[in-house]
Amino acid sequence: MTLLLVIAVGLGFYKAWTIGANDVANGMATVVGAGTLTLKQAIILASVFEFLGAFLVGQHVTETIKGGIVPMETFVSNPMVFGIGMLSVAAASAIWLNIATLLSRPVSVTQATIGGILGFALVSPLGGPKCIQWSALGGIALSWIISPLTGAVFAYVLYRCIVRFVLKSRHPVYFARTAVPLGFSATLGILFLSATYKGLPAITINLPFYGLLLIAAGICAISYAISWYVVELRVRDRRIRLKDRYEVIERWFGRLQVITACYMSFAHGGNDVASAIGPLAGSMHVFSGQAIGTHSSISPWLMAFGGAGIVIGLATMGYKVIATVGHKITEITPSRGFAAAFATATTVLTCSKLGLPISTTFVMVGAITGVGLARGLASLDLRVIRQILSSWVVTIPISAILAGSIYWLLISIPWR
Amino acid sequence: MDWAGIVGKSPFLPMVEHAKKVHECVLKVRPVADAVLAGKIDELTELQHQMSKTEFEADQLKDLIRQSLPTRFFLPVNRDDMTNFLTQMDRIADDAEDFAVVATFRKLAIPAELHADFLAFVDKVVEVSSALLEVSEHLAQLQKQAFVGPEAEEVLLKIQQIAHMEWESDKLSRKFARRYYSENWADPVTIILLDKMCRALAGIADHAENVAKNLRLMILRK
Repeated sequence: MTLLLVIAVGLGFYKAWTIGANDVANGMATVVGAGTLTLKQAIILASVFEFLGAFLVGQHVTETIKGGIVPMETFVSNPMVFGIGMLSVAAASAIWLNIATLLSRPVSVTQATIGGILGFALVSPLGGPKCIQWSALGGIALSWIISPLTGAVFAYVLYRCIVRFVLKSRHPVYFARTAVPLGFSATLGILFLSATYKGLPAITINLPFYGLLLIAAGICAISYAISWYVVELRVRDRRIRLKDRYEVIERWFGRLQVITACYMSFAHGGNDVASAIGPLAGSMHVFSGQAIGTHSSISPWLMAFGGAGIVIGLATMGYKVIATVGHKITEITPSRGFAAAFATATTVLTCSKLGLPISTTFVMVGAITGVGLARGLASLDLRVIRQILSSWVVTIPISAILAGSIYWLLISIPWR
Repeated sequence: MDWAGIVGKSPFLPMVEHAKKVHECVLKVRPVADAVLAGKIDELTELQHQMSKTEFEADQLKDLIRQSLPTRFFLPVNRDDMTNFLTQMDRIADDAEDFAVVATFRKLAIPAELHADFLAFVDKVVEVSSALLEVSEHLAQLQKQAFVGPEAEEVLLKIQQIAHMEWESDKLSRKFARRYYSENWADPVTIILLDKMCRALAGIADHAENVAKNLRLMILRK
């Protein structure tokens, strides 16, 4: 039992490390690519916000992953099966993530985890096809199709609006004075809502949703006023030559982009860390000798542990990935990066709040495709999009098979 | 994770490079014209070699851009406008090379009173090409700005000016043609060669205007 607990803890840390090493590039690469932040600054910001996201919003998603597809009640009679099962799910998704990274295909931790749970539930003696909540699984699968589409449409519309109202206008700087505070206040407002509404119990304010909405609106208004004033102070009394206008606008969008990148790291932390830690939380629970509760809560310390794993992954490997990806996407100007990141983070946070475990990577791919289709990229490689879609399709069956085999292997070992 | 691959390489920066190379060819037209008038046939051969080399380099650049543009790439501008832009640009270099090659065929004796008209025409053509380069250099930056805004407006204005300059070069071409056809100083071969050279020069201006028009389509038809 103790050995299994050690394995579970180690695996959880390893998964968090992998996410830190690979996935964090999602949010920060655009900022580094656009040249708004240096690599070092990006790493520091990413660490802080990934950690906060995991700590503050992570729990909600975790519960869905653990309980949504396979009801806990199935395993009450034999917690060991559940514990080992979740362990094999984590191992399977870690293996598949590593293989995919070697093939340099972006796959999602969330998808691998769901696939693993499916595989384990199918082969375990207590499970079988009957115990799986196919409707819940269908909902999750549907959200994987809908979320990148939402990200794409959102980013498309956002970028077209930036083009239409800022870049195309006769007085672009004048309109940037409205657009930048607008983006800033929207980011803060949504961040506030996501942290408080169904967030961490410790900071959840006991108010109905419309009350929170009202406070969020207030935060929006105040932050709009403040940022408008700051921009106004900087821009007023300065003659900007026609030639330099574009540069000035992009500089403002660059500052906004930093905030949205933090926002995205936050959303990523909340969504993906949860899906990495979720299954292990279940097995640790069992291995430390507790019974399975029907709604076993995950201690915030476990989420903090996951967050720490991410930060270490970021510090040891992640910076390289950010540098590589950032170098590849220098095409993305701050205004485009802002559109993509804002659309991604909002979609991811909304889905996390709805308890839908979706993939940040996929929403990001959707959002960048959206910007590209809005004619925001010099060229959009449709073949790579097709490849990404194909690796998405194979993730579920592969991680299901892996998890099933690992479970079968582990259960045949006589653990004391 | 490698989602960054969906952002393809920008064809616009190489296109600016190509435009610069093509203009390099056109810049050699004036030295060739000077050598023709001075009757320095050795210098002409040397110039023609240089011209062919530059034209070849431009060709290579063009092929490289073409290769990097398979249909799997979604472009922010109309694909046909883009390929036409490249084709027309390529023809500018071809015509500049043609001009240099024809100039080496035979030592021409052109009377001094025609020199001014000839050089005026040559200079106008080079001027059209310079104006085109100035516009083409905006291409990469325009793409970053989604082909809208003050810079795009400015480029559209300059494209109008290029069309006007091409018309001026046409007038100069006609004026020069009237002179060398109407006077009885020359033998028919000289006139044929002069005519060929003038056609090449007119071709440079023509294609430059077409490139500019294609750029306008890219801006308007995005």
